[in-house]
Amino acid sequence: MPRKLFTSKTVILFVAVCLFPLIAYGSDRIVDLLYERGIALPLPSGDYILRVVVQACLYMLLALGLNIVPGFTGLLDLGYVGFYLVGGYTAGLLMARLGWSYWIVLPLAAVHGALWGLLRGAPTLRLTGDYFAIVTFGFSELLFRIVKNEQWLIGGPNGFVNDIPPPILFGYQLNKYWQQYYHILILLVLTIVVVHRLQHSRVGRAWAAIREDERAAESMGINLREYKSLAFAVSAAIGAVGGAFFAQFQVNISAGVFEFWESIFILCMVVLGGMGTIKGSILGAGILGVLGELLREFGGWRYLIFGILLILIMRFRPAGLLSKKEQD
Amino acid sequence: MAQFLEQIINGLVLGGIYALIAVGYTMVYGIIQLINFAHGEIFMFGAYFAFLCVTTFGLSFWVALPLSMAMCAVMGMLIDFVAYRPLRNAPRLSALITAIGMSLVLQNLAREIWGARWRKFPVEATPTVLTGNAIPLPGGAQVSFLDVFIILLAVGLMIGLNRLIHLTKIGKAMRACAQNRVAASLMGIDTNRVITVTFAIGSALGAVAGVMVGLREVTEPAMGYYKGVAAFAAAVLGGIGNITGAMLGGVVLGVAEALGAGYVSSGYRLAIAYIIMILVIIFRPSGLLGKSTATRA
Repeated sequence: MPRKLFTSKTVILFVAVCLFPLIAYGSDRIVDLLYERGIALPLPSGDYILRVVVQACLYMLLALGLNIVPGFTGLLDLGYVGFYLVGGYTAGLLMARLGWSYWIVLPLAAVHGALWGLLRGAPTLRLTGDYFAIVTFGFSELLFRIVKNEQWLIGGPNGFVNDIPPPILFGYQLNKYWQQYYHILILLVLTIVVVHRLQHSRVGRAWAAIREDERAAESMGINLREYKSLAFAVSAAIGAVGGAFFAQFQVNISAGVFEFWESIFILCMVVLGGMGTIKGSILGAGILGVLGELLREFGGWRYLIFGILLILIMRFRPAGLLSKKEQD
Repeated sequence: MAQFLEQIINGLVLGGIYALIAVGYTMVYGIIQLINFAHGEIFMFGAYFAFLCVTTFGLSFWVALPLSMAMCAVMGMLIDFVAYRPLRNAPRLSALITAIGMSLVLQNLAREIWGARWRKFPVEATPTVLTGNAIPLPGGAQVSFLDVFIILLAVGLMIGLNRLIHLTKIGKAMRACAQNRVAASLMGIDTNRVITVTFAIGSALGAVAGVMVGLREVTEPAMGYYKGVAAFAAAVLGGIGNITGAMLGGVVLGVAEALGAGYVSSGYRLAIAYIIMILVIIFRPSGLLGKSTATRA
């Protein structure tokens, strides 16, 4: 496995990704030109393509954040959406109600998310396996109930916050799809760098040791409390950043977005790509994020397919599409 | 006072229903250490099966109830056979994720087949015994025939299950598997058969609970999730893997939920179950009746 992140391959990939909006809007131009000559191409509009891609990138960010806990430390987190919710509402409420700037709110949301991660982590440090999974699940459901019920806090029924203003940079409102695309791209690249650096450091090796055998790790002098707490905090902070981005991207948010099944959807991505790998999380989130958007009109069948996918992966390829062995 | 008594009775009825579902979770966990997330969906399918038997096929309620139990038993066995059995020796995380996937599939299948809308059990199909007038209690409270029936049925089934586990050969085999599956199989017990029977019994009891909720409240695709989580909390409260504990946990949780919803806030109905579940896991992971083990991997 290459320890270096910035190899020629990834740099070329990155440049290609940066030019993506040109391709999306370029196809728009071509469609327009051909349409004037009487040829109608059945291509989606550039805005639509970019919206789907931004959504998928957001899921990549979330999958990378979630991956830290089950993938690196081996503890199944069933309530990741809780941190997404914390970030979403921190940003949504501060921006829409108090008019704070997004650039202050974003780091604040990350810190707030990390705090909740530590808060949830403190009592669960002793727990492993099923019990940890249940507590994480209960925790996110409690947060969901709170934003759904506490109208004095949220200011609307069912956790409804509307008219979240876009971020402003040098006097420009960043609310166009291509701007959102670069916005999420920067956040995503930062996340990849942070997660990659962590994974290939002393911390990452300690996490892997905890994953493989907690007791052995402890007897080797790894402080379980510290390293687990760090994993929870980093993972939660990334989730909250995703939530903050989501809040300004969607403009209106409601509690319904943060239901339990969203956690499972993100888990599905991590599992599909291969738990414990950065590439796997990105691949899984890319596939399911785009697929989820394209299959939106199929409603419930979409979730049915995801469920079958989970079962099939666990049965036939438990290590995911990119298994850890292939990467190492 | 009358309101308090009614809430307590309400809680006991809910508790009976939770206990019926919770034993399904706890029995499976006791033997294969798997949180069968799909169990709540089986409960929901039980309600739908009875509803369809009564409405589409015009069967009597007394035929629909055992039929629904049988169908759910088959469903439970099938789910084990298709999804869980191949993963018997895989890491526990894989089986848990499979169970979540199964739950996702079943819930959305129901939603696509029958629609997300809730359905009320038709009054004309409900046996007249159960629609009878409310029985007045001292202090001005009232209790309906249906509630009395649910409590009696739940108690009867629990006693039956208890006898089955302690007096029959298969019950003995189940207890042996719960203690040590490998040792049990070395003693000549067909563990796969025991697991199948466990799924069948748990699912059939879940179906009864489903039909009762269908009669008392409504039948909807989301019910398996809501009631399933609460029942799972009951199983955790009683000590997961402990059948008597699941019964006790169901009743305690039912009463707590009814009192909480009646006196605190109905929006936090489910939150009570979550809070109890989290507190139990953190402070007493072995539950009310479970043996004390420090952590459960």
